[in-house]
Amino acid sequence: MLSRLVFVSASALKSSGPIGAGVVHASRCLHTSSQSLAPVPPLPEKGGKVRHGFIPEELFQLLYPKTGVTVFSLNQLDSSTSLFCKDYLKTGPYMLGAGLLLYMLSKEIYVINHETFAAASIGAVIIYGVKKFGPSVGAFADKLNEEKVAKAQEVKDVAMSSLVQATEDEKKEQWRVEGRAMLFDAKRNNVAMLLETNYRERLHMVTNEVKRRLDYQIALQDLNRRLEQEHMINWVEKSVISSITPQQEKESIAKCITDLKVLAKATQAKATA
Amino acid sequence: MAGRRAALKAIDWTAFAERVPPNQRTMFNNLKTRSDAIAAKLTSLPEKPPAIDWSYYRSVVAKAGMVDEFEKKFSALKVPEPVDTQTAIINAQEEEANKTATAYIEASKARIAQYEKQLEKFKNMIPFDQMTIEDLNDTFPETKLDKEKHPYWPHKPIADL
Repeated sequence: MLSRLVFVSASALKSSGPIGAGVVHASRCLHTSSQSLAPVPPLPEKGGKVRHGFIPEELFQLLYPKTGVTVFSLNQLDSSTSLFCKDYLKTGPYMLGAGLLLYMLSKEIYVINHETFAAASIGAVIIYGVKKFGPSVGAFADKLNEEKVAKAQEVKDVAMSSLVQATEDEKKEQWRVEGRAMLFDAKRNNVAMLLETNYRERLHMVTNEVKRRLDYQIALQDLNRRLEQEHMINWVEKSVISSITPQQEKESIAKCITDLKVLAKATQAKATA
Repeated sequence: MAGRRAALKAIDWTAFAERVPPNQRTMFNNLKTRSDAIAAKLTSLPEKPPAIDWSYYRSVVAKAGMVDEFEKKFSALKVPEPVDTQTAIINAQEEEANKTATAYIEASKARIAQYEKQLEKFKNMIPFDQMTIEDLNDTFPETKLDKEKHPYWPHKPIADL
């Protein structure tokens, strides 16, 4: 928990290299050059293990060969419990610690005075505070860091996706450009079609004009014939009429009258019959 | 009569339409309508005009020799083909378009290379939770705090915090 507080300060400060982070095992040489030779190993997630908040585990491991291990097991099993020692309290270093404490107290190397009680009360308050609020403060600090990292990650993701998208778009545009030949084919086609149309129109025009001229000749001929016919008829009529003399006229009228009389008699006879 | 029927290349209008970018769509539509109108006009005209019935005319027209003269002149007549002025221009346009297209493709490839490079940089980046501030400044030079311009903490204008 305390180590997490250290991390908060480390990420907030501008740390130049591994010096400054709390419990990082510095694998870099400190004095060779200002350039780093290898990528920084990732910071460990949690700090080194400690017992009772401030005694490192390594001290215990160090002391086990020297102080011996007395397994203090809660249920009375046989000596096979010594094989599963890590579940139970190994009391060696504790004996050492207790012994040292008693020695200092009894020999008055550490003198109990009023400051002892002050230290005890302050310690109690500190321990109570850390135990109660430690995790939440740690979580808060973690959250701050998480947010920073998440923001940066988001920026990176957006950048990457936009780059991919841009690459896709460029490729698409290149594909589009390849279609330019079609445009010119279309234009040439149009031109060819226009020429062909024009040519056909010309052919048609020539034929039609020739036909029209021939038809005109025919129509002219017909007109002439008709005029001649009519003129001839008129002339014949006129000459016939003018050739009828008055004598002939009288004779013909008398003949007509006698014919009419005969016809009348015939019809009368028919009617009465 | 040679070259009268210059080969009309079949154009796939749908494929063509796919390749048109959206901002040139109206131009494409205009071209298509024009082409369709021209094609319709072409198909509406029969290829050859109806033949003239000379024997009929010869029997009807009284003037001697007129029909024969007409027939002779008609068959001797050669309708000139229209002169093609535009194809050369179109070919020149195509050349130019090819040149600009290759230039554009070059530029586009350069842009793609740039994008690829940046993408590579992002891909090979170390994850953020393993970076130090130095690494951050190396990867993103814009995060580097200018200590000369602002010698006192926070090394950037207060408004940027």
